[in-house]
Amino acid sequence: MAEVSLTSVEKYYGKFKAVHGIDLQIEDGEFVVLVGPSGCGKSTTLRMIAGLENISGGEVTIGDRVVNDLPPRERNISMVFQNYALYPHMTVRENLGFSLKIANQPESAIDKAVDEAAHILGLDELMDRRPGELSGGQRQRVAMGRAIVRHPDVYLFDEPLSNLDAKLRTQMRVEIKKLHKKVGNTIIYVTHDQVEAMTLADRIVLMKDGHIIQAGTPLELFDAPVDTFVATFIGSPPMNLLNAKISGPSMVLEDGAQLPVPTDAKDLVRDGQDVVLGFRADSLSPVGHGIEETGLKAEVELDVQLTEPLGTETLLFVDFGGKEVQAKMHNPRHVAVGETLTFQLQIDKCHLFDASSGRAIRN
Amino acid sequence: MRMRRLPEWLVLLLPAIIVTAAVVLIPLLFSLYSSFTPYKLTRPSTLWIWIGTLNYEKILADWNFWSAFGRTILFLTVVLNLELLLGLGIALVINRITWGQRALRTIIMFPMMFSPILVGFQFKFIFNDNIGLVNNTLQSLGISDAALPWLVDAKLAMFSIMFAEIWMSTSIFAILILAGLYAIPRDPLEAAEVDGCTAWQKFRHITLPFLMPFIFIAMTIRSLDVARAYDIVQIMTGGGPARRTELLWTLMSRTGYVDARMGLANAMGYVSIILSIIFTVYFFRKLSAARNELGMGG
Amino acid sequence: MQDRNQAHRIRKRISTALTLLALFIIMLIICVPGLWIVLNSFRPTVEIMAKPPVWTPSFTLEHYRAMFGGAGEGGVPVFAYFRNSLIISVTSTLIAILIGMAGGYTFARYRFAGKSSWFVGLMIFRAVPGVALSLPLFIVFARIGLIDTHLGLILVYVAMNVPFTIWLTDGFFRQIPKELHEAAEIDGCTRWQAFWKVEFPVARSGVASAAIFAFLTSWNEFALASQLTRSVGSKTMPVGLLDFTAEFTINWGGMCALAVLMIIPALILTFLVQKHLIAGLTFGGVKG
Repeated sequence: MAEVSLTSVEKYYGKFKAVHGIDLQIEDGEFVVLVGPSGCGKSTTLRMIAGLENISGGEVTIGDRVVNDLPPRERNISMVFQNYALYPHMTVRENLGFSLKIANQPESAIDKAVDEAAHILGLDELMDRRPGELSGGQRQRVAMGRAIVRHPDVYLFDEPLSNLDAKLRTQMRVEIKKLHKKVGNTIIYVTHDQVEAMTLADRIVLMKDGHIIQAGTPLELFDAPVDTFVATFIGSPPMNLLNAKISGPSMVLEDGAQLPVPTDAKDLVRDGQDVVLGFRADSLSPVGHGIEETGLKAEVELDVQLTEPLGTETLLFVDFGGKEVQAKMHNPRHVAVGETLTFQLQIDKCHLFDASSGRAIRN
Repeated sequence: MRMRRLPEWLVLLLPAIIVTAAVVLIPLLFSLYSSFTPYKLTRPSTLWIWIGTLNYEKILADWNFWSAFGRTILFLTVVLNLELLLGLGIALVINRITWGQRALRTIIMFPMMFSPILVGFQFKFIFNDNIGLVNNTLQSLGISDAALPWLVDAKLAMFSIMFAEIWMSTSIFAILILAGLYAIPRDPLEAAEVDGCTAWQKFRHITLPFLMPFIFIAMTIRSLDVARAYDIVQIMTGGGPARRTELLWTLMSRTGYVDARMGLANAMGYVSIILSIIFTVYFFRKLSAARNELGMGG
Repeated sequence: MQDRNQAHRIRKRISTALTLLALFIIMLIICVPGLWIVLNSFRPTVEIMAKPPVWTPSFTLEHYRAMFGGAGEGGVPVFAYFRNSLIISVTSTLIAILIGMAGGYTFARYRFAGKSSWFVGLMIFRAVPGVALSLPLFIVFARIGLIDTHLGLILVYVAMNVPFTIWLTDGFFRQIPKELHEAAEIDGCTRWQAFWKVEFPVARSGVASAAIFAFLTSWNEFALASQLTRSVGSKTMPVGLLDFTAEFTINWGGMCALAVLMIIPALILTFLVQKHLIAGLTFGGVKG
């Protein structure tokens, strides 16, 4: 068990700077998810922690040891790879026991640890097969088994679920979470899928272009995004963003519609400021089909362009403020395309961002 | 009205079968027959005298034959193993270099383009005791006073021949193993690093198993051509001095062309053919097995 | 802890240095013999034979002049040998590729009884040593008058190269999904068109590398050529090299010049297709 800490960690590929001085403290036993669009440096960061990439600058410590120049084998970590990285010429049993065999553990200890890991992951039946004979989900399980056999200080997961189909992905997500409960070790998990990040993480670290944009619990990122990037990246469907201008106590949208300024933001904006109004689909619902909230509200008449019934709710695509936005209809009834409905917007659940910097306007 | 036609596969394969049968099979059958006769080129009528297995008995009782046979086996064992090891070493070194790989690869292939006979002459020149590069260098640097008799002394001559053979044929191993190194997926190697492998363990447990099919391809290709060594030996020493570098192939050609004892030579030829076939089939089998191991079969 | 980090840094640096040293030695051993030949083809004979050795080479074209001067001036009929080599190698390569490709395609695409036996059978023919084959082939060819002809050597080289071509192309055609020619046939091609327009282009690297190997084998072969050719009309360059040897002496300079002439076409050809060469060898073998 161990903390992991990154201090001003940088990575250069030639002239190109892939990671810009990252600072990150990870607690012992914490489940941290690095998430971001592809090319944001999250995998590079993970691989620097693993020792698979050289660290161009800064310092990485695991436990109380600086590991910058240590090879992976001296870092006491284990890793689950995106493409499983199973050894094709070994059986499942040999794959699982490989790291222990390399460490010269006695045969009996290896067997015990392997059987235990196999049992946790339900691999008992597959022990004598080769990876080539396994399905994607089974390979994924073996890859995880290989990681847990060794009881390392830190587990590293590099997009482990991205090659699985949607159903299997949900299932494995649950298993990973259970696994963390059971073993309780520090986990650093990389993914580009915000749903995975939201469901798994104790703490999400959202990265972009080699910088950390925001780090915090899933709900912090969801409820208080620091900028428009976080707002659109986290949550599904993404937050709706509309350009607006502050005019006295109201905001004027691009199509001229006026809305009151959210209570919290009143003192933080100035007259004439260009802002971006952000709200989630949940905050815009047809009257009588929304979630009852206290606070400021506004009613608008909008035309429905497209509907996506999901069962317990229906997503409505409507034109609002000169843009197509998504609204949510709880307890849905049939809605025809082209129908005009009265919608209620929960003004106090809206977010305001500065239009030029994209930063949230918030205390 | 249906004409009986040959199946399509046979039609496509027929040219290959015909040409190999005509050029290889028929002469081989002829030589098989002649190996049971006392056939001499100079006296054609001897072709019709059946002497049974007398030639083979003669060979089996011949000390010269056995020493050439043993030397051939020794030669092949040493040469093939060294070529494999050196080829592996070269491939590993080049794989570690991060610049100019294309150019290096091309240079590595250089010896593959040389005719074996040219390699023979080249090293005959280089190892020449009087004007050769090796002796000139040794003497100019003051390492050795006297000219070393590279192609005359039995041990040195064997060394020189092996050096030439290895120089010529290591490329094929290096190139194929290098291709194998490129083909290894990166993930298992990284997984092994994380699993705690040292560089050597990583090589032993991951890299080498992945390379096995490539090594066996190289072995198979090489075993098809082992007899190319004949050209080199024929030029460099001609089997001399005093038969001390005599291999099966040079002995056979001397018996056939110089002594004109075709029947006897053909009997030796059969021994060498069987030897080559055993090598080839052995490595071919190994290749299939290694492929299956990695799930590449098909 | 800092010590362990430093130890690993130093170890990395040492291993890089050792790698570079090894690379240097490898390149030296590979390149020097070839360069030695090239160098000596430009040195006057007196200097080659000098004792003690002359280390600062002078430059002369005397060997090339003699070589191209023709047989009359004590030279070797280089042009004739070069022509023979070219005719024999190119023709035999083309024929071997056509026949071998048909064979490789058959093994990759058709199912028939005893397939693997046919395959191993053909491969075994390739393993027959040239010297062992040259004895009976000499007698047979002498009977039917193929000794000392282009046709005779072309036939021999075709037979030598067909099995290897089959092996390589088989592996390549097997890589190509069956759906490809099926799709082409549905799009209106005949099987023949489907092969030439769809499968052949995809398998091109395999065919290219097979062709290189066939060409190099024919271009460089000596054991058979030395027995089956007699005169200027059919001798190939490897056999021609022997013209520079007399009973007790060897004209090293002249031989080096011919050697350079021999290597150049092989060199150019290999450079042109070197990318395909490796791909061809490994695909054909590993995945086949």
